[in-house]
Amino acid sequence: MDAKTLIDTNKDEILRQWIEAVYSLYPLETTGFVRTSSDPFGNPVGDMTKQAAAAIYNAITGEDTAVDTVKAALDRFVKLRAAQRANPSQGLGVFYLMKPILRKLLLPQLAKDDLETYLGVESRLDSLTLLAFDMYASARETLADLRITEIRNQHAQLTRWAQKHGVISTSQAR
Amino acid sequence: MAKLPTPQQLIADRPAFPDKHWLNVKSEFTPGSFCYPAKKDTMELLHMPNPHEWDPAAEDWGLPENWERILCDAFADRLEKHRSLKLFMDICVRCGACADKCHFFLGTNDPKNMPVLRAELLRSLYRRDHTMLGKLLGKTVGARAWDKSVVKELFYYAYQCTECRRCSLFCPYGIDTAEITMIVRELLHEVGLGTHWIMDPVKNCSFTGNHLGIKPHSFVEIVEMLADDCEIVTGIRPKTPFNQKNAEILFITPSGDVFADPGIYTFMGYLLLFHELDLNYTLSTYASEGGNFGSFTSFNMAKKLNAKMYAEAERLNVKWILGGECGHMWRVLNQYMDTYNGPTPVNMVKPVSPITGTEFTNAVSTKMVHVAEFTADLIYNNKLNLDPCRNDHIITTFHDSCNPSRGMGLLDEPRYVLKAVCNNFVEMPENTIREQTFCCGAGSGLNTEEIMELRMRAGMPRGNALRYVQQNHDVNHMACICAIDRATLPPLANYWAPGVTVSGLHELVANALVMKGEGKRTLDLRQEDLPNVEPDEAADTGEEQ
Ligand code: SF4
Ligand code: SF4
Repeated sequence: MDAKTLIDTNKDEILRQWIEAVYSLYPLETTGFVRTSSDPFGNPVGDMTKQAAAAIYNAITGEDTAVDTVKAALDRFVKLRAAQRANPSQGLGVFYLMKPILRKLLLPQLAKDDLETYLGVESRLDSLTLLAFDMYASARETLADLRITEIRNQHAQLTRWAQKHGVISTSQAR
Repeated sequence: MAKLPTPQQLIADRPAFPDKHWLNVKSEFTPGSFCYPAKKDTMELLHMPNPHEWDPAAEDWGLPENWERILCDAFADRLEKHRSLKLFMDICVRCGACADKCHFFLGTNDPKNMPVLRAELLRSLYRRDHTMLGKLLGKTVGARAWDKSVVKELFYYAYQCTECRRCSLFCPYGIDTAEITMIVRELLHEVGLGTHWIMDPVKNCSFTGNHLGIKPHSFVEIVEMLADDCEIVTGIRPKTPFNQKNAEILFITPSGDVFADPGIYTFMGYLLLFHELDLNYTLSTYASEGGNFGSFTSFNMAKKLNAKMYAEAERLNVKWILGGECGHMWRVLNQYMDTYNGPTPVNMVKPVSPITGTEFTNAVSTKMVHVAEFTADLIYNNKLNLDPCRNDHIITTFHDSCNPSRGMGLLDEPRYVLKAVCNNFVEMPENTIREQTFCCGAGSGLNTEEIMELRMRAGMPRGNALRYVQQNHDVNHMACICAIDRATLPPLANYWAPGVTVSGLHELVANALVMKGEGKRTLDLRQEDLPNVEPDEAADTGEEQ
């Protein structure tokens, strides 16, 4: 079988196995719930993971490689990882859970001369992970900014009053 | 040679099969997972029991020597006092209906954030001392003994519950985990454990009236500055009546809306609306905080802070109280005020709107009316001249704040007002609004910046629903009727749905309100350009209509 057909016929299995791998990172008591509920608002983690799985598949197979659409499709999932796991390797390592799945499902059946197509898939996965790394870093930066903005907003009117009375200078207020 | 770990090893959060029963997994106090502790001198000033310096990240929390006795006695006392608590301890059948309804569970995926297990943390202690089976069979029936790590665990999870009551909506027995959390917090206070973000405002409210501890004369000046800003926008400087005896109405609202962005614009909205109505009302410097930070601490503290409202209503000899947009203030008013501090002073009477003559029979006992009801009644009776087109650049949704929605059933009045002042309104998905609303993730004293990450997890279900209407219906605004929401939703929106702004209801009301003798409106209350004003019209600024 050529690589393209092989990947297509294995699509569902690739998605299923990756989603499972991500779910199994959660505490045992939780995994059953994220696995079974399909309500996008009642089980947002499940919904975000499924959306990310589809986006990863489309990107690595070369079906959708426009940076903007890939990023948009991964946005919720990466933000979730950035909020849930402070450790970047834990946050982003989920993308690499795809490699052993691909290798197990695809490599044994692949014709030798089609190796290049397969390597293309893996290398797109690498690019995708790098894109996600940017998104992750920017989400963490947003988190840090939110803290600062919040401290400022809490006392915004008090600060204006203090400025008016010369208690603090305008530059201090910033 | 040491091997590099594989990616799988790096990201694994748990072994394939946990080696411990869930109840035995210890809580980890990593930075960002806990609120800063209350200061010793704050606790001393408030006469709280066992004040001491401590650090949640440290091994030793400096508990008093007889901590176990104190906690056991306090728990027995609460079981005696609140029959509901005893019932909640006894009747849970572990059906699991509540398990996936908590935003903290959905966002953290930590099993102990399932409401049933959150309650089980206390219930397991209850079993040992207060049930026959537990006394006899101990662990086999899920009973356990107090130890210091249990105290830590209770603290960890009592401050990962926003007392939002979403879980109780789904419980066939109506078990209210929020009340269990309240009791746990109360117990922890017995051994001197509280958080800074809650206790500092409690102290300030106790001593100076408002949560930042601003002295009365400065408080008045700050409000007057807001009236000045109103004048810049409308050409009219609304009156700011303070401490006026014999006024008909006392207006009480959270002081957060006097100090914080964007809450101040809601406060300006009140000033303009009341001015336009020529309402005979007064603000108070003594009862200048509607929000009841005591309710995050203990029932007694909530009662003490709440007592100011009636005391001031009596001193100023007002007929009734109008309450601003606030969350837990209304939970306390609607659920507890009568028993805490009722009956009302004799000078108070059944609230009647002086503008429409409507009798607020629902408030006949507490004599306190919600401003959303008050304004909805004005609009219903055609008493306001509104130009909703001024808000046409806004496509708004409405966040039901947990306390007014689940705590008191205030669902339709704010929507009625919102639709009258905004032409573009979109609801979020059905299972995320009204009674089923998702919490902002930081209520009940958790909106402190040191746990911002935790808040983004807990707020994720709300953020996710908001993002959905942003992407599918171009929503760019979210209105709410809670001062804590006005502080917590902006960061939530910035993270999960950037581009969505947040405001109180009465900010939008005042933007749409056509006032007698006002200047041409080219700015909204935030002094941002109103995009729907024609440029040539804008040149007429200041001209009276
Ligand atoms: S009250 Fe709210 S935060 Fe607390 S357990 Fe129930 S759903 Fe969760
Ligand atoms: S829904 Fe009620 S009875 Fe069922 S597990 Fe939750 S608290 Fe217990």
